[in-house]
Amino acid sequence: MRQPKRITVAALLASSFLTLPVSAVAQDKILRIGMTAADIPRTLGQPDQGFEGNRFTGITIYDSLTEWDLSSETEPSVVIPGLATAWEVNPDDTTRWTFTLREDVTFHDGSPFNAEAVVWNVQKVLDEDAPHFDASQVGVTASRMPTLRSASVIDEFTVELVTSEPDSFLPINLTNLFMASPTHWQAKFEETGSAEAAWSAFAADPSGSGPFRVTSFVPRERLEMVPNENYWNPDRISTLDGVVLVPMPEANARTAALLSGQVDWIEAPAPDAMPQIEARGFTIHSNPQPHVWPWQLSFAEGSPWLDQRVRHAANLCFDRDELSILLGGMMGSPVGSYEPGHPWFGNPSFEIRYDLDEAQRLMTEAGFSADNPLQIRVQTSASGSGQMQPIPMNEYLQQALRACYFDVELDVIEWNTLFTNWRRGATDPSANNADAINVTFSTMDPFFGMVRFTSTQTFPPVSNNWGYFGNDEFDALIETARTTFDDDARDDALAALHSRIVEEAPFVWVAHDSGPRAMAPNVTGVVQPRSWFIDIAPMGME
Amino acid sequence: MADQTLDTLILAPARSAGYWQNVGARLLRDKTAMAAGSVLLLLTLAAIFAPIIAPMDPLEGRLINRLQPIGSDGHLLGTDELGRDMLSRLIWGARLSLLMGVTPVVMAFILGSAIGIIAGYAGGWTNTLIMRTVDVFYAFPSVLLAVALSGALGAGLGNALLSLTVVFIPPIARVAESVTTRLRSSDFIEAARASGAGALTIVRVHVLGNVLGPIFVYATSLIAVSMILASGLSFLGLGVRPPNPEWGLMLNTLRTAIYVQPWVAALPGLMIFMVSISFNMLSDGLRSAMEVRQ
Amino acid sequence: MLGYSLRRIIYTIPVLLGVSLVCFALVHISPGDPLISILPADASVELQDRLRVLYGFDRSYPEQFLLWLGRALQGDLGTSIATGRPVTAEVINAVGNTLLLAAVATFVGFVLGCFFGFVAGYFSNSPMDKAASAAAVFGVSVPHYWLGMVLVIIFSAQLGWLPASGAGPGGSSQWKLDAEHISYLILPALTMSVIPMGIIARTVRALVAEILAQEFVIGLRARGLSEFGVFLHVVKNAAPTALAVMGVQLGYLLGGSILIETVFSWPGTGMLLNSAIFQRDLPLLQGTILVLALFFVVLNLLVDIMQSALDPRIKR
Repeated sequence: MRQPKRITVAALLASSFLTLPVSAVAQDKILRIGMTAADIPRTLGQPDQGFEGNRFTGITIYDSLTEWDLSSETEPSVVIPGLATAWEVNPDDTTRWTFTLREDVTFHDGSPFNAEAVVWNVQKVLDEDAPHFDASQVGVTASRMPTLRSASVIDEFTVELVTSEPDSFLPINLTNLFMASPTHWQAKFEETGSAEAAWSAFAADPSGSGPFRVTSFVPRERLEMVPNENYWNPDRISTLDGVVLVPMPEANARTAALLSGQVDWIEAPAPDAMPQIEARGFTIHSNPQPHVWPWQLSFAEGSPWLDQRVRHAANLCFDRDELSILLGGMMGSPVGSYEPGHPWFGNPSFEIRYDLDEAQRLMTEAGFSADNPLQIRVQTSASGSGQMQPIPMNEYLQQALRACYFDVELDVIEWNTLFTNWRRGATDPSANNADAINVTFSTMDPFFGMVRFTSTQTFPPVSNNWGYFGNDEFDALIETARTTFDDDARDDALAALHSRIVEEAPFVWVAHDSGPRAMAPNVTGVVQPRSWFIDIAPMGME
Repeated sequence: MADQTLDTLILAPARSAGYWQNVGARLLRDKTAMAAGSVLLLLTLAAIFAPIIAPMDPLEGRLINRLQPIGSDGHLLGTDELGRDMLSRLIWGARLSLLMGVTPVVMAFILGSAIGIIAGYAGGWTNTLIMRTVDVFYAFPSVLLAVALSGALGAGLGNALLSLTVVFIPPIARVAESVTTRLRSSDFIEAARASGAGALTIVRVHVLGNVLGPIFVYATSLIAVSMILASGLSFLGLGVRPPNPEWGLMLNTLRTAIYVQPWVAALPGLMIFMVSISFNMLSDGLRSAMEVRQ
Repeated sequence: MLGYSLRRIIYTIPVLLGVSLVCFALVHISPGDPLISILPADASVELQDRLRVLYGFDRSYPEQFLLWLGRALQGDLGTSIATGRPVTAEVINAVGNTLLLAAVATFVGFVLGCFFGFVAGYFSNSPMDKAASAAAVFGVSVPHYWLGMVLVIIFSAQLGWLPASGAGPGGSSQWKLDAEHISYLILPALTMSVIPMGIIARTVRALVAEILAQEFVIGLRARGLSEFGVFLHVVKNAAPTALAVMGVQLGYLLGGSILIETVFSWPGTGMLLNSAIFQRDLPLLQGTILVLALFFVVLNLLVDIMQSALDPRIKR
């Protein structure tokens, strides 16, 4: 009974060696990318997996009303027109904005992009009564555009957006709302009969207006895209034959895949393998990103961080240059959330640096000693978008801070859970009594970089002020910046806010990521901007 | 597996005091088993006296010194990804690793034997109820059950120990039940019953003495499996948490270094292997020593 | 034989019911809101309730269990919370990949195990027995996830002969039996095969030694039966047990592939389980565990029935 089965397997194995197929793949200009995510980020318009999601299944498949300028390695990345060509705030009522739309845009399914499509896409995450409202997309979207409330059609190519309060950051926030095709979704809805199933079908066969369209999707394994020949911006019509995304959460696996020619580009190569990667002729691209790798501190009742001396001591107690060795030099040493020279840096009186004596002095003053250390619990993850090397970095901090009488306990949880806990706050049971949370963040826009961590309006569960840091002074600084619609004046107001943040130190600023990625030498046209994102469209292959 | 060992175990004769002396003597003559036993004894001593033996603090390191090769100055076995001394961490790691490997089997030995003996001695509906429940858990592949349980309960030393204990109870309970059921109908138990001995006395005097030996041999062979599984849980991030030195966890965190110091990265696994193979050889020796008839 | 099979099948039904109950309970003992990964932080209470109703988490546990079981019997294991994709499709895809890996590993393990076992049993107590037995002990003692790592160090990192991870250039969906794809299978399958190799070798060694020691065989030899004849006799008598052990091992490998799949990023049930656990994706976790446990139970059932058919001595 068993015998035939064995023969079959043996025969299959034997025959396979006889039929060596000729691989034609090498001829095609297919750019294969190894991502750090463990799964393909969601493809239905609002990606999960943090900004890595936006990077690979957001700006590739979709467009947003406003977009990031990703064309320069040296200039800061700023907001430029995307599907909207112009926008202005209503001078009489600064909660109302008018956006003028691009007229020659079609979705991948051929349907036209217009004002109704914008309204539909606002509704998908903000209007609970809309048939296509999808709760699973709200979490990743609403927190990134906290003041947007509704949209309405003015004419075919003009929409009005309404915010809950005056907010000069709205155009920046709108880079996070991707425009999916309503017509295509409707077709899926009619096929499947339920909104949930329609979104599921839409995710498997998405339609946006971006420079790439999806041709094949294998969950957890790969996503294949080809250039959108009808893209509205001729400069961004790709010359590649295709792009393949492969999730590779393990740094080693990514590195091995690159070295063996399995992929042409990997995100975040294993730091220890950098010399080997370069020696084998691959190119490492990196550029300091608007990114902070922090411990975000709790100001909840009873938190040890309520004492400013303790917060300053933690910032002074470790040597960022030494930490840099761990990352193969691929990090920047922060002196705040922004760096000197940035229009929002300001002039903080507290200088973040390595000064062990001062740190110990502050801690002694605060009443701690080697025999009476301060117990701290930090919640972190083992991996995650932008988290760099969370475990070794946290273990390094754990060691280094011992010299300043900190006894650090790490609470390691899964990345998505950590990210969710971030919005639940330090007093939520999910925080597991942690005194600090280690979630890296982008500082690209002032809301992400500063406001959501320092306003009393952003206390959990509204946004990411996990530690409940905030007071009247900060609320006033934020209010000024938000209601200043003149660019220079708004920058000055933001610089004043940043100076105060550094002085109050609601974070331990540990590192800036420099976004290292390694590419095969035949990948051309790579521009790594000072951004979390990178534009694949102009790239080519030789 | 369990079924086979079962038959040979049950065939073993009733034990007397002289029998155990004999087993001990045979075991002492078994060179392989003795070598394995010595390795385990040495490791246990190292674990107990880790604070004295370990040359350095297992939690303290300098990043400047990270990933030094085996045989480098001051670090006989090199350093890990945070510059901590590998030799010290391996010695300290023996504590948690041995604890995580042995504890679940000991717990399962106690609980599983109790469950099995109760079911076997009581018979009837009690037996059916208990053993069918055990069968349900036995119907899960061991790795799957361990991972699913500790995954559901959440990472941590306690949860990992609990999960592994649950994994090992069913096989031990099944062995205990079979041996007890067979003994229950044997002549001398009947005789004891006829002479008016209470159930507890019968269990204590006759059943325990005859049942625990075979189960013990079986349990020792499970320790090797338990070592591999326990470290495996830590390897997956479901066991011990950093920075505690534990071999499975060390293997996990050192995985990123296989391109730089592959052999340093492989060391913790070698330790798990050594312990596991030693327990297997000791168990083999014990079994052949006990199966020999007087 | 028929009676035994029937009894065995009927007896399996309550076990299956118990297994599904355990799967359900396992997942519900886990702390935390099952919707935590998709509930927006600023979700209104109404929205939270709406979602809870949509996912059925508002019902009582017995109700949830029966509902889940009822749907599972129809092949519907629900929708993954984290990805919004149907669980059944995900699990089926992953099971296929794991089955491929486990089947090859079991086959390799069976061949090697039988070889070592026969050698050890036939030349009992000779140096060859020692060597073959050592290989068997190695198989049952080595932490396979570590062995996988060592093989990657040697054959991928140092020599660069074989790929370190993944299921091949096209992922599992484009898997075919060609040299390139098989090269991705070699290291994980080899790593996985040491477990059945060790266990089968030990079983076969004991069987062969036992059969050869039987007075009947000694008699055959004395009457001048050729060595080949004796060999055939041994094979015939050892085969049922060896095959049964192989079948059970396949079940163990299917259910226990998580460690190896993690080391090699093999897109099977182990990887699925891993991500379900770490994302707290209850429907996916439940579905994966259930399917794997069912496989194991059914495989054990088949092995038992087949063994009783092949070996009439077994009467239970």
